[in-house]
Amino acid sequence: MSTPSAPPPCPHLAAHRLSSRPLRFVRRCLRVRPLGRPEIRRDPRELPRCSPCAAASPSPSPRLYACLSCAAVFCPSHAASHASASGGPGHQIAVDVDRAELFCASCGDQVYDPDFDHAVFLAQSSSLLTSTSSASPSPAPRKRRRVDYRAWAPDPAEFALMSSADPTTSSSAAAPAGLRGLNNLGNTCFMNSVLQALLHAPPLRNYFLGDRHNRFLCPRRTPVRHRAAEADAAKVACLACDLDEIYSAAFSGERMPYSPAKFLYSWWQHASNLASYEQQDAHEFFISILDHIHENIKDDQHKSHVQGHGDCCIAHRVFSGILRSDVTCTSCGFTSTTFEPCMDISLDLDVGDNSPFGVANTKPHARNGERGLAGMNSKVSTLMRCLERFTRAERLDAEQKFFCEHCDERQESLKQMSIRRLPLVSCFHIKRFEHSAVKKVSRKVDHCLQFPFSLDMAPYLSSSILRSRYGNRIFPAEASDADAVSELSSEFEIFAVITHSGKLEAGHYVTYLRLNNHWYKCDDAWVTRVEEHTVRTSQAYMLFYVQKTLYYKACERAAAV
Amino acid sequence: MSSSNDAPLSPRSQLALSCFEELLDCAVADVASECHRIARLGLDRSVDAEEEELRVWAARAAAGGDHHHPGGGGPAEEGGGGGGSKGGVDVFGQTHPAIAADVIECMNCGRPVVAGRFAPHLEKCMGKGRKARTKITRSSTAGRTRSSNGIAASSYSPYSNAANTNRASVPNGVTDGGCGTGGDHSSHVL
Repeated sequence: MSTPSAPPPCPHLAAHRLSSRPLRFVRRCLRVRPLGRPEIRRDPRELPRCSPCAAASPSPSPRLYACLSCAAVFCPSHAASHASASGGPGHQIAVDVDRAELFCASCGDQVYDPDFDHAVFLAQSSSLLTSTSSASPSPAPRKRRRVDYRAWAPDPAEFALMSSADPTTSSSAAAPAGLRGLNNLGNTCFMNSVLQALLHAPPLRNYFLGDRHNRFLCPRRTPVRHRAAEADAAKVACLACDLDEIYSAAFSGERMPYSPAKFLYSWWQHASNLASYEQQDAHEFFISILDHIHENIKDDQHKSHVQGHGDCCIAHRVFSGILRSDVTCTSCGFTSTTFEPCMDISLDLDVGDNSPFGVANTKPHARNGERGLAGMNSKVSTLMRCLERFTRAERLDAEQKFFCEHCDERQESLKQMSIRRLPLVSCFHIKRFEHSAVKKVSRKVDHCLQFPFSLDMAPYLSSSILRSRYGNRIFPAEASDADAVSELSSEFEIFAVITHSGKLEAGHYVTYLRLNNHWYKCDDAWVTRVEEHTVRTSQAYMLFYVQKTLYYKACERAAAV
Repeated sequence: MSSSNDAPLSPRSQLALSCFEELLDCAVADVASECHRIARLGLDRSVDAEEEELRVWAARAAAGGDHHHPGGGGPAEEGGGGGGSKGGVDVFGQTHPAIAADVIECMNCGRPVVAGRFAPHLEKCMGKGRKARTKITRSSTAGRTRSSNGIAASSYSPYSNAANTNRASVPNGVTDGGCGTGGDHSSHVL
């Protein structure tokens, strides 16, 4: 989904632009209500009516247009006659009184103009009541010199050199580098599944294989003596060093399964001190080790202030994104915005709840897709729908009234999430385990989830969400929210899927990896090659996507099997 | 809101009805206007992509569904033959026992331990596990099955009773802390 681009104007609109006053002067005729549409300003008692209609029958028509030239008001059926009957050109373009949309009476269709949209946008901006208060200080926009992304393809000589030297993309599809089983050390499949995904996360893999954290030179690592006291050992063990060792082992070319015993030992030394990281859930483990890696190797100068920038450690650099949360007062429209860093996105699995109309739903176009696949839609959840639901404007409960600074009292409010900045690797966690504190039962949601192999995150970015909140107007580039300009592309490619099979209390984690455009199933020590449909029909629990620019697709290669 | 009775409506009902119809028309026009704008400005490209994905997914899922059990197990695989842990060979042509036979030297006590039993050993060795400390919890875990790959997961700790509080210090995946447990969920902010 790219930025909106104005289609070429119809001849009537083009003529109008040349002959009449610039459309931006319409701005003074606009009025914007909080949480409402922009509309044509009118007196409180004034009731626009279509004059020809009023003469014929008293009932008012719902949709009215006002001619831009003479301000005559008419309904759609009388629009054409007004355009032709009125003297001279310039009466073809009218504006929808209730929606501030341009209408060409001659074409009989809604038309779009950037200047007009700009006027509407300015009217909306001036009426917006926003605060820039943030729970954590909003990252200051950094003036980074931007370099345009240019695609590169090797010439034949380079191609030959690369094919001969690089084991990763060799034609031997049976043995892509880094593919190696991990032994189950006793109910540790949750650990193995996450490690497999991390082993093949391109930025993380490159970091460790590029010797950016050398376990022999790491200052925090000293030899762990036998029977070392726990307290001492906890300060010493470095998870990044242990991860480095696993990378070395996986990419060594050795194919017998590896036992990540030292990693387990190190993790226990850290995790046992923190009660909150005790659960044996793969997602919990994932968050836990990222946190500990951060603790181990964070650059002490870059403490909490720039959290979210990802400069503190490799874990944040790879996985940390920024979420934007907007809470809007339903009474006055005042919006409070906060930013928070996040390492992953947890999504509710909407089981059969495909009711399209949430509050203030401004994405009606997505519903077109649903109608085409009637029987399928009621049973299938898709990742994109989960993301849509995540970024939907939700009305908060009456109990959770938000204190509106503008109204100076608690009001009902709308909350909407969006992604301000995408990480290099997006991890989506599907909430399949439901725990009811009331009933003291837990259950697993087995519902199947469809997920794409290529994902465009653009519709979920803050820039897109904000734009659609204000009617998808054509924004001139400078006028848009400077903070929201994303520096990186929004296209992602999947590279790992962690699935959970079985029941909540007796289940098993397995990781599917996409290497050289083939899928491999990593079931502890067993690594087998599988077909796409196996992956598609599995129960995805965690999905890992990497920025497309960092993903090397070998599928174009003729030699690939 | 079509009333099925044939009796003429009272003026009040007529007014209410026309009011409703006007509101409905307005709402429909709103949606139509927004969709028209989205379509004209080219913002709806993702819809086609999504539809296509769903179609492909459905087709491939149906095609593969004949010889596949959803939910794990041992799906039929090409290019390497055989299932995963149920037998056959892996992608490198190797086979592996149900319990990893590799021998590891424990970092804590120095003793050699079989890899497949390393975690339970380490738990006792480091003095962390429930079993290392107390035997009270035995009865609460009776009846839970345990397999080598799979997992006897005890229930989620916040709801456990007092007898299980020791479990809070069990790091993970050993004995009754299964690798398959579901944990708590939220977007994690670090």
